[in-house]
Amino acid sequence: MVLTKRPTAQASGVDGRRLRSLKTKQRIIEAYLALAGEKSPLVPTAAEIARRAGYSVRSVFERFPDIHTLQVAAVDFALTLVTPSAPPSATDRQSRIRSQVESRGRSCERWLPLWRSLIANQGESAELRQRVVALRQWDVRCLASIYGPELSTVSDGERRQLLMVLEALTDIESWARMQEFFGLSFEEACSAWMQAIDRLLPPTPARA
Amino acid sequence: MADPVATFEANSQPTGATAEARIDRRLRSARTKQAIIEAYLALVLERPQIPTATRIAERAGCSVRSVFERFSDLHALRVAVMDFAVAEATAQVMAREPEGDRRARLKTHIETRGMICEKWLPMWRALNMNRGDSRDLKSRVVMVRQVILRRIEMMYEPELSSVSELQRRRIVIAIESLIDFESWARMRQDNGLGFEEACAVWTLAIDRLLPPTPVS
Repeated sequence: MVLTKRPTAQASGVDGRRLRSLKTKQRIIEAYLALAGEKSPLVPTAAEIARRAGYSVRSVFERFPDIHTLQVAAVDFALTLVTPSAPPSATDRQSRIRSQVESRGRSCERWLPLWRSLIANQGESAELRQRVVALRQWDVRCLASIYGPELSTVSDGERRQLLMVLEALTDIESWARMQEFFGLSFEEACSAWMQAIDRLLPPTPARA
Repeated sequence: MADPVATFEANSQPTGATAEARIDRRLRSARTKQAIIEAYLALVLERPQIPTATRIAERAGCSVRSVFERFSDLHALRVAVMDFAVAEATAQVMAREPEGDRRARLKTHIETRGMICEKWLPMWRALNMNRGDSRDLKSRVVMVRQVILRRIEMMYEPELSSVSELQRRRIVIAIESLIDFESWARMRQDNGLGFEEACAVWTLAIDRLLPPTPVS
């Protein structure tokens, strides 16, 4: 996995040593994310993370007191990489559905192993659980924005129901089942979601 | 999976006092086996974590040795528990026939599915969390999904028979996604819906996904 958004020496007050430390921290997070994706749902060990990042185990624990803290930092970093998929709501219904579905499909393909790792290892951690909930809420907000025109035509109660349904339909595990259980290709899986979303949404209101 | 005690009783043909004693012993053993399965299940339903052999034995009212006399290891026990749970859930599903008009079938299907999710969600989670590389457990997960799919096809056969194979497949896949255990869990736990409210969400969705019911 290639990740971006590394810290840079923009802030004038940051000296070289501090910058090196930040870069080390960032490399450890990236190593964790890469390994968590490869080994999902198993959690990589400190030794594996250190080896992948090119540092000592001590360096890992100097920056993160335990693996759980590193997990939380890694999830937070991954969240910054999830880019909004909402196309302009001015485009027509079919374009919006296609754009949302294809973007969601790509996102599912990319993040499924990490997501499974997160779900399998959240255990009793309130911090990880909180991030799972935040991700789901973010998905719902995206859906509300993309399908705003259609959802604006129904009552608040029905709107809430439809958002729950759309969220369940486009869940990351639902995508995984289409590929792993039903054997659908990317395009076939997108077509299945597009048909379903089109049937679920109320008619698009005519523009004023 | 058939009830081991009932199966044993049905297949036994005692021929004398010695045979009867042997049968009694085997019957007790089968009952202990069943008690161990039910103890495991009860513990998982209470807390979605793999119970220890000691806790299982305590709950079943037998010794740890008795557990391992009947199951070679905890994995074998997990598989037996899964088989028992699948049989129970399938019986619960099949108890309600796919009869009546569209509304009635939607109600039957969704209420039953909701009840299954309520009862078996912890077991389903524990299974998925701990199946690891077990082929036995993976095959049970596939079997459960196939039962769910067959049920969808059976319940909505009139509507599904009116569209092309491709459309039918897509509709079935979408319904399967919607009525997943975790979708139910999110409605109930994250969104705080009551049982009836959660059923109403699924009803709205499936009703929209299905094509019109053909006039008979």
